[in-house]
Amino acid sequence: MSKSLKQKLVAYGLVMPAFLVVMLTVAYPIISSVIQSFQDEETGGFTLDNYKYFFTDPAQVQNILYTLYVVIMTVVIALVVAYLLALYLRFMHSRIAKSIGTLYLLPRFVPAMCAVYAMITIIRDSGLINRIGQLFGLDISLGLMYDASGLILMNLWFNIPFAALMITAGLGAIPDSIIEGARDVGAGKFKVFTSMILPLSLKDVVIAGTFVFMTNVGSFTTPYLMGGNAPKMLGIALFDQFNRYLAYNRTAALSVIMFLICSVSAGVYIYTNLKENDWEK
Amino acid sequence: MKMKRLGSLLLAGAMMAATLAGCGGGSSDDSTASGGKSKVSLWATGSDNVRAVYEALTADFNSKSDEYEVELQFMLSGTGAQTLADMVAAAIKANQTDTDYDLVDWSGDDLSKIVSQVGEDAFVKLDPAKIPNAANVEAKSSVATDYVQPYRGTTVILAYDSEKVPNPPTTWEELEEWMKANPGRFAYNTPGTGGAGDSFARTAVYNFMPEEAITSDDPTWEDQWDEGFAYLKELHQYMYTSGGKIVYPNKNQGTLDLLNQGEIDMCANWADMVLSQRATGAIKDTIQIAQLDPALTGSLQTLSIPTIGSNEDGAYAFIDYMLSPEAQQIMVEQMAAIPLIDSSELDLTGYEDLAGLDVSNFRIMSIGDLATDFNARWDSEIGAIG
Repeated sequence: MSKSLKQKLVAYGLVMPAFLVVMLTVAYPIISSVIQSFQDEETGGFTLDNYKYFFTDPAQVQNILYTLYVVIMTVVIALVVAYLLALYLRFMHSRIAKSIGTLYLLPRFVPAMCAVYAMITIIRDSGLINRIGQLFGLDISLGLMYDASGLILMNLWFNIPFAALMITAGLGAIPDSIIEGARDVGAGKFKVFTSMILPLSLKDVVIAGTFVFMTNVGSFTTPYLMGGNAPKMLGIALFDQFNRYLAYNRTAALSVIMFLICSVSAGVYIYTNLKENDWEK
Repeated sequence: MKMKRLGSLLLAGAMMAATLAGCGGGSSDDSTASGGKSKVSLWATGSDNVRAVYEALTADFNSKSDEYEVELQFMLSGTGAQTLADMVAAAIKANQTDTDYDLVDWSGDDLSKIVSQVGEDAFVKLDPAKIPNAANVEAKSSVATDYVQPYRGTTVILAYDSEKVPNPPTTWEELEEWMKANPGRFAYNTPGTGGAGDSFARTAVYNFMPEEAITSDDPTWEDQWDEGFAYLKELHQYMYTSGGKIVYPNKNQGTLDLLNQGEIDMCANWADMVLSQRATGAIKDTIQIAQLDPALTGSLQTLSIPTIGSNEDGAYAFIDYMLSPEAQQIMVEQMAAIPLIDSSELDLTGYEDLAGLDVSNFRIMSIGDLATDFNARWDSEIGAIG
């Protein structure tokens, strides 16, 4: 055996376990789901009915629109807040900024279930806020439970730290020298932001956005515990099809639909990365 | 090429390992446990409280029995894996003969399911002479009556806050009047997310139908659901409201939390859940239970001995133990189960409400696969009103 062949074998050997695991646990289920989604539940023959159902049944259409609404609101608000937070952490050097810099990651270490229940105890109509209000003779009913705004609020708790983490890393890569250089030639704070910081960090913002989008499309715990009966987020609609109606072919079709929704965001992610490579040349 | 070969080798290895692992489950191993006692494998499924009770029961049994050692094989429900009923059905259909499914615990639904799949003959027809403690047990399973032994029961009831509802309704008409007088103060959980909501919605619908329909999985009954669904639709406007919308919480615990927080005054829930949480102080002392007439449905938990098991005598011994006052006492204290033996032999301190629940009048529901259609119809007709 020649040396180069040996090296190649070692290399493949190292890649193989990961490759096989991915093939067995990711590629195979995806392929079989796609096939199943085009099969009739009774006959197993080819059909488009499983897809038609999700785009014609009024309740299911509502579910899709509702999910997109919750997810897009989450992405937009999370990015704006996270960006402001990241700017603050990057350019302020006070002690408060430092402690915020350590604290803002804390939500990532709280188990999702605990966080959701904690939020419920605070915001529910008989929760902490209502009880504090009652001390002052007020009856505050936030109406956030079983409502889209409650879901968005909870999603923000999970996603702002995550988005801020990514954006902070991006902002940290912008050297102070560029900003000082711009200042030297007379650029104001606003100009420095719009023509230096924003363009240089936009890629990280987009990438953070795609990640937030993808993780929220299929979210389950939060909408299951905090969501209403109708419309539902797709994660719950999927659970219904699978566990409650035992409609496996429709389940497969909905999985594929969710996969396609996510792949829009994955497409943006890949495009952003490629574009950057082009720009770096 | 090399890589391809290596790949297929690894793949073959992985598949072989998986196959071998698959063969492992359910096959019988050495039937004598340490200490010369003969081993009985007990299979059960359910929530974590069921596991805790069974651990206490098997430990108590093992410390008293010189002959048998019961080993608990517990499967937590709702984890999405193959259910116990499926596993046992698969073993029976595969013509396995000498397995360690010596004794299996069934909920009402699981029992209907397995009996419809493999028939009651898959279980040993129980010999009353071998279960002396069962002599005074009146409760009978509606399915496979002679093949399973009920050992505890529970039922869905109305849970209410006695501070706000001094006189709870006793009939459906009174309940409806109460709802109309107190809009937004009642809730039942989304059917399919917990048995209490299932029971409330289904009982409401089946009250309009002949009594035999409630234990039938014949799809023709679906045509008669319309009146009941219209009734549920009418009740809809009086249900719990949050943020200006009618809401049916998920899970049994969802409505119980609302009751405990004072957001509602009454809900449908399981007697055992309410009483055991009240006993541990998780919910308020003022929460009480009441039954309607016609009753919300309940279920009997049963034990059966699959013919493919390998320790029939040991299984009988454990069934008999489960109907002893000591075992029934453990189940009352740890899960507020409704005892099936004469409750005067038991200490019901803290669980006095149990004495009022008569197991022999239990209304049992088993509509099999119709439940799936029922939930789907509820979602599109009631849940979607919003």
